[in-house]
Amino acid sequence: MKKKYCMVIDSSVCIDCKACMVSCKVQHKVPRGFWRNWIKNSDPDFTLGKYTSMHFQPGGCMQCDNPTCVYACPSGATFKDDETGIIHVNEDLCIGCGNCVKACPYHARYRHPVKRVPDKCDFCRERLDMGLLPACVDTCPTKARNFGDRNDPDSDVSRLLREQETVRIVSRPVDTEPNMFYLSSTMPMDWPGPVEYPAAHQAMVGVVNPLVKVAVGLSGLGVAAMFLKQLFTSDEASHEEKKEEV
Amino acid sequence: MSEKMIHRHDKAAIFIHWFNALCWIFLTLTGLGLIKNDQINPIGAWWPSLMRSIFGSGEMLLNFHIYVGLTWAVVFILYIIFRFKDSMGFLKESFSINPARDMSWMIKKNVQLTLGDKALTKMGMGTDIPPQGFYNAGQKLFAQLTVVAGLILAVTGVIMYLSTMILNNPTPVAWSRTIHFLMAGLAFAGLLVHIYMAAISREERPAFKSMFSGSVPESYARHHHELWYDEVKDKP
Repeated sequence: MKKKYCMVIDSSVCIDCKACMVSCKVQHKVPRGFWRNWIKNSDPDFTLGKYTSMHFQPGGCMQCDNPTCVYACPSGATFKDDETGIIHVNEDLCIGCGNCVKACPYHARYRHPVKRVPDKCDFCRERLDMGLLPACVDTCPTKARNFGDRNDPDSDVSRLLREQETVRIVSRPVDTEPNMFYLSSTMPMDWPGPVEYPAAHQAMVGVVNPLVKVAVGLSGLGVAAMFLKQLFTSDEASHEEKKEEV
Repeated sequence: MSEKMIHRHDKAAIFIHWFNALCWIFLTLTGLGLIKNDQINPIGAWWPSLMRSIFGSGEMLLNFHIYVGLTWAVVFILYIIFRFKDSMGFLKESFSINPARDMSWMIKKNVQLTLGDKALTKMGMGTDIPPQGFYNAGQKLFAQLTVVAGLILAVTGVIMYLSTMILNNPTPVAWSRTIHFLMAGLAFAGLLVHIYMAAISREERPAFKSMFSGSVPESYARHHHELWYDEVKDKP
């Protein structure tokens, strides 16, 4: 059966230790200045009282079901794996146009400064293949990050999704349908940007592609008309005409 | 009865024509296979899937496209360097426009080829197609298109090829992709007419044969390229 990997995050137990960020960085040799995952925080509440607090919210690529990065990729180098639901980058097929980096409203992608192709969380594909959990999940001391297969009813994530109320952090105006679920008290909620496709991609979709279709269509029509005319006039007749002209 | 033949293309020109034809057809087919995105795929997802299974994978398809494209560009540059005078002659020939004659030819020839001489007369234009030089107006337009498109395709192609090796800014790469597709699409639109004229159209058949033999019959030269014929008829 197909898997549908997802992450369910209980941000109320996150202590901002950044172990997930560190283990990810080590696992994937993420270059200095870049991160595949993160911990965001709410504005601290300094009012007097029993429940003064600050909320920490772990995150990473949302592995969306409505992935704007995939829609922005011209070649299929960024694709959603049917078998696992994970969004991958095929580095050999990617030519580094950068469309997907801009199209992600969660800023979950960065352009690798050496490889010059996008890099992002892939739920530690190599570790999954070995039967291990993603590095960030494995290392989390408070079990704020939970990972598993949503299609398996006995998995931790299925149980959490069944038993607890969850929210998805979506961007506007597109509902990206993320596979990162937060148990309902999470904060902050307002950090995704709008879905923005680069001008080159918009030009391709809105102008260039229709223009090429019209040009090829008109040219094809012209050829078809010439061919029909040739079919319905006899060989002799046309030669006669020519001779008269000469 | 064998008609006098007039020399039109030499062996090198014939070679570069067919080399160009093979490369462009291959590059168009593989290039279409590289567009795997439902929003911009011109003919549907089946084509990229087919191409990827033929070449084994998307990466192999991309490699073939890149290296055939680079080979095409390098051979072309060598051709231009070694035959600089002929190449400049070709450029001069195809870019020298006589607006009145060429416009008139374009309109009349298109009406004649699609609707016939009767329609021409009905429209009050007469069937006297303006005499043409070495290239007719349609050939000139296609030559201009291929020169401009070829140049831009080569430049944008090289930008994309180098994108993951030396370029730090992705914006030129993104635009290269858009422009590369635009130019290939326009060239393909022109190519449809070019292929029809050469391989299917009855009147132009001697031109097709000359792309192998190098020469055209005298009567064809006189009728289709009168100005050129007048220039060369007295040469041995």
